[in-house]
Amino acid sequence: MSAAPSALEAPRGTRTAPFADVVAEHLDAVYRYLVYLTGDRTAAEDLTAETFEKAFRSWRRFDPRRAAARTWLCRIAHSAAVDWFRAEARRQRREQTYALETAEIGESVFAEGLSPTLERALRTLTPAEREVVALRVLLELDGPSAARVLGISSTACSTRLSRALKRLEEAMADVRD
Amino acid sequence: MSATDWTELDGHEALVSELRANPPVAPERLRQRVLELAPGSRRRVALPRSRRSRALAVVLVAAALAVGAALVHGFVSSGSRHGAATNATVHSLGPVVVHGAGAGSTTTPKAAQRLAAPPARPKAAYSTANTGHEAVVIPKDRLVHAHASLQVHVPSHSALTKATNDATQIVSSLGGYAQSVQYQSETKGGGSSFLALEVPVGKAQTAIGRLAQLGTLVSQQVSTQDLQQQLTRQTNQIGTLRRAIAVYEQALQSGSLSPSQRIEIQIKLANARHSVTQLRKARSDTVASGATADISLTLTTGKSSIVGGGTHTSGRFDRLLGGAAGFLALEGIVVLYALVVLSPLLVLGGLAWVVLRERRRRDERRLLASA
Repeated sequence: MSAAPSALEAPRGTRTAPFADVVAEHLDAVYRYLVYLTGDRTAAEDLTAETFEKAFRSWRRFDPRRAAARTWLCRIAHSAAVDWFRAEARRQRREQTYALETAEIGESVFAEGLSPTLERALRTLTPAEREVVALRVLLELDGPSAARVLGISSTACSTRLSRALKRLEEAMADVRD
Repeated sequence: MSATDWTELDGHEALVSELRANPPVAPERLRQRVLELAPGSRRRVALPRSRRSRALAVVLVAAALAVGAALVHGFVSSGSRHGAATNATVHSLGPVVVHGAGAGSTTTPKAAQRLAAPPARPKAAYSTANTGHEAVVIPKDRLVHAHASLQVHVPSHSALTKATNDATQIVSSLGGYAQSVQYQSETKGGGSSFLALEVPVGKAQTAIGRLAQLGTLVSQQVSTQDLQQQLTRQTNQIGTLRRAIAVYEQALQSGSLSPSQRIEIQIKLANARHSVTQLRKARSDTVASGATADISLTLTTGKSSIVGGGTHTSGRFDRLLGGAAGFLALEGIVVLYALVVLSPLLVLGGLAWVVLRERRRRDERRLLASA
């Protein structure tokens, strides 16, 4: 038997959920998280695929007693996104451009149904702030799980979320004005 | 999930509602792309082992290997000592003549016969162990210096005390004395008593026999050094010098010597008298040395104190266990040593890992905060 099929069929410890089910259940969540984190839909798609590819390769090592599948996937997505940000930073230094400027003002990045005010306000946040908003608001992860994905303490995660929401409100007010 | 987990969202309900109402949805092409990674097999394989249980399994396997290696070592070493035990059995069957005064070397019976000392041999040693052997004969028709070492095992502490007192009384009754007595007894464990005894050489054989009966004779070594030739030589030298002194005295009394010859004869006479005095003293020491025999008596009690023939009673299983325990102890020492040597490196490696991780996290935070 080749390594790939056994990895596919051997969800470590869960003994119930094959990888295909995990994909069906968490694909949207991981994609949302990465859209908010990167602010780039194309990059989020690539990173989502990369995340699940990594997850697929290490599926046998996943231990549900240590973390939920969503938290585990978000942790992988976080690492992939950080690598992407590093690559982007290098590219920007090379090209002396700002990646987010490539997105046209009228184009919706985060979601189709969002108000233009909220869309613009979200763009003013840093990736770290958007990340915590995505984890806590969109994915509805609890504090400890979100903190585990971010690699910070629960208190720091709570503080970051409060600041992010406050900044988002302020940014929306500024946009309205 | 407790209610306090969501207190950060208080006051932002409208914002949260809007965000949740319009989540990004993964395009179908992405879904297909990812699902291609996971074709539809649904066979499940149970893999319950956690990292902790895996580490425990590794530790158990390592411990089992260590014990197995120790047992193998014990088995091999217990087998290899069989030859030594055989030699020891030969050694304990009866008196075995040993070259020199040392008791460390043993010989086969054939070699022992070849090396057996003749009666006039200047120096010989006889080493025996266990009971059931004939007593060693110390020559009585010649001047000899005798030394005997006996190790006797007694069953208890009280027997040790009694045997110590009895040994002193035995040598006193034979006209000898105890030069020194060292008595040592432990509440838990063995005890021992060491006696340096002096007995008239004519009674040495009797003394050795009676001392050996104080308990179980574990080992016995008797050595004799012939002093007769030395005494004869010293006596002859004294006689020669006396005759020379008489000649010198006669020459001095004759009055036919020149002054220079007289002085020369006087010097020779003085030297001869001095030599005679020294030789007489040396001969007295020789006679005194041959008058008494030294007996070193070691009395022991407790299992651990049984040596010599006593150890040969243990079975191969005991030797296997002993060898295995020794090997395990050696393994422990090696592991401890390795830990001591490697621990600074491990600490440094751990510190480097922590520093690198912290630096990476800081870079990551900066990257996500500024992008």
